[in-house]
Amino acid sequence: MVTPEVNLSPAHYQAFGLEISSDLKLPELPLARSLDPSPELVSIRAANHQDWPPLQASPHSSATVQMAPGDWRLELEGVGWFRAFGGRQLSWQRWDDSVSDRDLRTFLVTSGLGALLIQRGALVLNGTTLVLDGKAVLLLGSPASGKSTLAWCLLQQGWQLLSSELSVVDSQGLVLPGLQQLKLWHDSVVALGLDWQQLPLVRRGLHRYALGQGDIAVIDQPIPLALIYGLGRMKSTNKKKEAEKPKEDSNANQEDEPRSPEQVLFKAWARKSERAALLTLRNQAYQPRFYRAMQQEASLFLQASHLLKRVAVHELRAPDGITAMRTALEAVDLFNPDALIEASEALAATEIEA
Amino acid sequence: MSATQAGYWYLASYPKSGNTWCRVFITELQRLAAESEPQELNLNRDLETGAIASSRHWLDDQMGVNSCDLSFAELDPLRGRAGESAWLFAEGERFHKVHDAFKSPDSRGRPVVSTAGCRGVVYIMRHPEDVVVSLSHFFSWPLERCVDYLLDPTAALVPGERNGGHQVRQHMGRWDQHVRSWADQSELPVLVMRYEDMLAKGAETFMALATFLGLPTEQGLVAQALANTSIDRLKKLEEQVGGFVEKPEGCERFFRSGRTGEGAEQLSLEQRKQLAKGLADVMERFDYGGVELG
Repeated sequence: MVTPEVNLSPAHYQAFGLEISSDLKLPELPLARSLDPSPELVSIRAANHQDWPPLQASPHSSATVQMAPGDWRLELEGVGWFRAFGGRQLSWQRWDDSVSDRDLRTFLVTSGLGALLIQRGALVLNGTTLVLDGKAVLLLGSPASGKSTLAWCLLQQGWQLLSSELSVVDSQGLVLPGLQQLKLWHDSVVALGLDWQQLPLVRRGLHRYALGQGDIAVIDQPIPLALIYGLGRMKSTNKKKEAEKPKEDSNANQEDEPRSPEQVLFKAWARKSERAALLTLRNQAYQPRFYRAMQQEASLFLQASHLLKRVAVHELRAPDGITAMRTALEAVDLFNPDALIEASEALAATEIEA
Repeated sequence: MSATQAGYWYLASYPKSGNTWCRVFITELQRLAAESEPQELNLNRDLETGAIASSRHWLDDQMGVNSCDLSFAELDPLRGRAGESAWLFAEGERFHKVHDAFKSPDSRGRPVVSTAGCRGVVYIMRHPEDVVVSLSHFFSWPLERCVDYLLDPTAALVPGERNGGHQVRQHMGRWDQHVRSWADQSELPVLVMRYEDMLAKGAETFMALATFLGLPTEQGLVAQALANTSIDRLKKLEEQVGGFVEKPEGCERFFRSGRTGEGAEQLSLEQRKQLAKGLADVMERFDYGGVELG
């Protein structure tokens, strides 16, 4: 078994409302402004997974993730073993020497911290939060739904990144600073005119790049949440889902294809009923299986209902294609969803007349 | 009955070999047997047989990580463990479409799909010459390119290596390798169904399917389900919903001709020889005639 490399002086971070002490450097997280230990201290440490006690796993566990209330374990073959327990401790072990710190970090700060936050009863959502003029907008969406690309475009308009991939909203309706790194796919990087050769890979072997605190504007204080958007992408005709494509065609650049007005404008609508809004939040809870297996589902619903008394939920469909999205965004005010809805309805009316 | 007790099934095939027809038939047979649905089948609403085994959403849930953070080569050996927690498969969504070969060059000798709790696989195959023609319409590719594709040992469906996508890579390899990978594996009970038999000997072939899957086997029900899902009927149903959701961009219609022998009519002699030469053993084994190579 490989002995983990451990930094003797741990680094300190302040993220998701926690003081985090880690023996692995985590540049995705904001640095702590004070080194004073607080009661909310969470520690991330190397460990030997063989020392972990047997687990009475919940039936909602899977082959990769074994869980019980207050205990979460991920065995990711080829990468490592991870354990979050008691909402205070996150342990890791490298699979072997070929696994880099970057490999470990990728899963520690996402699934690992996400699980630990769920153990602490936090409301953790699948989304990226951006800030403008002291107000936060949360973009909810599954992986590969276009959150990061839209976020990068907003950053070019003067927005700041508060948290990416997972966002935590506290009981006061504040979004807490979290992961401050955007992961962009190769095609997005090229379409956005960035030099991919100068960007670090998210992990070796992936066609994804990481833009961190030095590359993008970030903010590291809790910000009141003003609006939530459930994000999706429009296809050329909106009822078609992604089709199967062979390798050669999947990477083809479709940016130059002619488009209808429906394809080049943002489209928005309100989640009017509380039930519909609650469903949007539930569906975009970070890893719902973690909530279920660690018996935190009731807390999730309670907090989501509480949040909906403060913040409205809208659905947002971005135009298909990065160039189209970027252009359309120039005419959009995300703080004014009513104007977006009106524009969408006017477009729909024009189409019916046509 | 819980989903765990019920288990689940795979409907595996090389693309454009009749997999969707099979799924529609299963849906229709179950719907008729339930006796409470007077309405006609809606292709885009009712076809909920279960997630495709390559769904990213499903893998993320099973693995507890964002699969976008793993390469396709890393994912292949892990995918077989996704799905061991069989409770996830809801009743009625127990039939999972698979286009992957049973194993991939990256899967370290393991199946790329979970076998734990799986009750069996229906492998649907079709004459490779007809697959070429159907693929050509589906991908909007010339026939020649489709011939090369069936003979390519690295052929795969990759819905996005550089741009995310909602599915992960599905390695298929050469057409004959794909057939062998499923027909010759010994980890799951397998029923091999030829598309040609589904057309020419429908009653008998679909009865065997219903029996294998533990579905209702009343002769009248099976016959009715088959009549309701004939290619002409499916074409009409596709028109009613304004295009089947699984149809790719640029493809005029998903349910096109459905008949056999189109390959022999449309492929050149040279193209047919290429297929016959490259795929001879498996074509012969499953009684698929090609051109004489002499």
